[in-house]
Amino acid sequence: MPVAAHHSTSLFGRARVLLCWGALGVLLLGAAAASAQFEDPALRTRVTRLENGLTVLTLVDRSTPVVSFQMWVKVGSRDEAHYTGLAHLFEHMMFRGTDRLPPESHERLIQARGGRVNAFTTRDVTVYYEDLPADALPLAIELEAERLANLQVTEATLASEREVVLEERRMRIDDQPQGRAFEALLTLAFPAHPYRVPVIGWRSDVAAVDVATCRDFFRTYYAPNNIVISLAGAFDEEDALAQIRAAFGGLEPAPSIPRNPTAELPQNGERRQVVYFDLRSPIFTAAWHAPATGHPDAEPLDVASLVLSGGRSSRLYRKLVYESQLALSATGSYWELLDAGLFYAYANVRPDGEIAEVERQLLAELARLRDEPITPGELAKAKRQIEVDLVGASDTAHALASRIGRDWVSFERIRSLEERLAAFRAVTAADVQRVARTYLRDENRNVVYVVPPPPEADR
Amino acid sequence: MRLHVARARAAAAVMGALLGCAGAGLPAWERPLPPIDESPVVPADRLHRSRLENGLDVLVLEDLRSPRLHIGLVARLGAGSEDPAVAGAAGFTTDLMERGAGERDALALAQAVEELGASLSAAAGWDSTRVSISGLSEDRDALFAILADVVRRPRFEPGEIDRLRAERLAAFEQQKDDPSSLVTKHLERALYPDHRYGIASEGEPATVAALDAESVRTAYRRIFQPGNSILYVVGDIRGDAARAHAAAHFSDWPSGSVSSPGPAPPARTPPRTRVVVVDRPDLSQSQLALAHEGLARTDPTRLEAALANSVLGGGGFLSRLMTRLRADEGLTYGVGSGFSMRRHPGPFRVRTSTRVEETGRVVGMILEEMARLKTEPPTEQELSNAKTYSAGSFALSLETSAAIANSLVDLDVYGLSPDLLDTYRGRIRAMPAEAVAHAARERFHPDRLVVLVVGPADALVSQLEPFGPVQVVQP
Repeated sequence: MPVAAHHSTSLFGRARVLLCWGALGVLLLGAAAASAQFEDPALRTRVTRLENGLTVLTLVDRSTPVVSFQMWVKVGSRDEAHYTGLAHLFEHMMFRGTDRLPPESHERLIQARGGRVNAFTTRDVTVYYEDLPADALPLAIELEAERLANLQVTEATLASEREVVLEERRMRIDDQPQGRAFEALLTLAFPAHPYRVPVIGWRSDVAAVDVATCRDFFRTYYAPNNIVISLAGAFDEEDALAQIRAAFGGLEPAPSIPRNPTAELPQNGERRQVVYFDLRSPIFTAAWHAPATGHPDAEPLDVASLVLSGGRSSRLYRKLVYESQLALSATGSYWELLDAGLFYAYANVRPDGEIAEVERQLLAELARLRDEPITPGELAKAKRQIEVDLVGASDTAHALASRIGRDWVSFERIRSLEERLAAFRAVTAADVQRVARTYLRDENRNVVYVVPPPPEADR
Repeated sequence: MRLHVARARAAAAVMGALLGCAGAGLPAWERPLPPIDESPVVPADRLHRSRLENGLDVLVLEDLRSPRLHIGLVARLGAGSEDPAVAGAAGFTTDLMERGAGERDALALAQAVEELGASLSAAAGWDSTRVSISGLSEDRDALFAILADVVRRPRFEPGEIDRLRAERLAAFEQQKDDPSSLVTKHLERALYPDHRYGIASEGEPATVAALDAESVRTAYRRIFQPGNSILYVVGDIRGDAARAHAAAHFSDWPSGSVSSPGPAPPARTPPRTRVVVVDRPDLSQSQLALAHEGLARTDPTRLEAALANSVLGGGGFLSRLMTRLRADEGLTYGVGSGFSMRRHPGPFRVRTSTRVEETGRVVGMILEEMARLKTEPPTEQELSNAKTYSAGSFALSLETSAAIANSLVDLDVYGLSPDLLDTYRGRIRAMPAEAVAHAARERFHPDRLVVLVVGPADALVSQLEPFGPVQVVQP
């Protein structure tokens, strides 16, 4: 979801100044209710920064018996240098034991409390989480700190984990038409920026990465000043902060965090790629360069997404699935990343459908967004859909911790529900038409077809 | 920095002293686990049950913390009750219910729902069929009215029937592109060749191609009867207001006769081990399943069987299969096992994936672990872990009011006692080791199962022949 970048004078903005006064600096974030009908729990988030640079977000919500403890490490595949897939492979290695704990102890200890434990890597971040019964929070805190302080990376554990990751790659990408489509689309759309690389990495690199490279990556990026902890649910805030200080306070900060400097080049013409795959329902997908997260055009782009594919009354469903019956599904969505964004379209072509005709009709619908304003009814409907989504996005401790964690790593502040809703309420039909004209241009388009290979004789 | 580290260590020492609890000097992972929390999970003060005169049960769970409302009608019959000749009729019917009801045709209905920012869903499971809508509580009048239209006044327009049939047939073709979908479809076919469970709940091309307006109306009348349904209302609404809405929209829904839930399946399947390879020559990874008959949802020994399964493959990294196949050998991204509990015994299955050349080895290891569960029952530590895992994940799964209401409706569908949620963790804690060992011996059959593999037959057949006769089929 997008961002409002124009609230730099809010309480959240000032927080950063106040935080400088010391290891115990804390600040209670804004107290005003988000709206008359619903108090946004995220407003109660408290921000603490330890002297070593670790940021801790705590959000007490006693309406749930659960605590979600999340560790957001500001490293993703965009930060990789020689070996692609390293950020993700390393996420796996974080579960392979420490000086004091054998491999997989972390998951086993959390699961033995009934907790959920997992992690994910994106192009921008790596996130580790434990959702647990409230009384198990100290275990999660100590286990996360333990692997930051004493992680073991050995030849043996790396060798077996490398195979696990290659299995994951086969499952998600190599044998999946959608995975192939997405991988091809990103390499096409980003010839320069590291977003071109699949998060799971290229097979050759995953197979070759060694222990020394892993250790170096760990020292470089897994420093407290590159980590945000977010914590939501039923817990005692003072106790939790004291435990976190005790467990994490001794970690050494890194002097600097290297980032790839490469920026994507302006695109000066359409690019196309065909991927052959043994499939019955071909895939059409396309992507246009769009702004990075935090840009004020994000809200109109989200509205455009909903006009195109927010349910069965949306334009793409009506045109391609319902009326012409050429596709099994058809969507258009805005995808925001830290350094760049994409607007992408995706359609599953019916086995009896013609992919070129799907492309023609889908692009005609996108052209209509440029050529004429959306109707007042479409605008109102999209805003209502967003409002209901945002209100429902704080249902669980995990959802709350994710929301504040994501906001903090993206903007170093937490956007209130009211702020988000106000930004969407301000969107006009003219805004949507303007962003469509700005970004959904033909020369800014990358197109991928995934289709069955032609018969041998035609190759 | 050195100064800083010293200060942090001092802080840790102070913390330990302040906490002053038993074992505070030990790492958290070495401290003893607290006893299983057995407190009730259903908020009795917010739960209201009633019944309309036509027999429709009404369950309301108030939750005023957020301005959301979820409403659903669940009929206590699903695809499992169908005659196999019309397999898929229930799901086809519910899909059509979303495509026109009351005064609105398909697009007008979608428009009405989406203008509210709401979501509408109608779907048939094996044992129940659900129509649900969720949105903001300020739209409660409209949400109830739309739900009542969809449940009571579906249009079943001929044009929509033709359109949906064509869509479904295309979707069946598309499923062949997805290796996991192929596993499910072919596994059920191999396990239950003569039973409704042998066809996917959404049917198969031959049965769906034959569905028409008459079969849809027949399925609708059979499934949707107020005397065999429960209406749930969860969220930002008071119990009396919810009941008033329910009565206004459903009390004049006439009751009819209630159908039987269908015949029982064969108790044991398969009689002997067989191997089925679904040939996808292009794949680099095998998707595989090992399966035999499992348990009914109401089986009185389901809890001990679930604990035994947790030790085998249901307990994530605590399980023997995950430890061996992933952690020790790096052979897979994941492996799990479980019982698909339905009104009649659905399958027990182990699911995993591995590179093609390791497929035979992985099948052998799974069979060894299934056999070992019988000869080496869960250890004290394994059983303790399985119990705390089950009790803890149960509590986590009921974090929201919607989840609690869903679980209460599920108990209702199977005629199980509504207090089973509140007593679950106590029953887990008290389960004797011998009962779990007995389930471990009796419920798993490595000597007779279906081994189903999706992948390149050329490379697979010779690896799999040692396990039983191999049949190669097309997707």
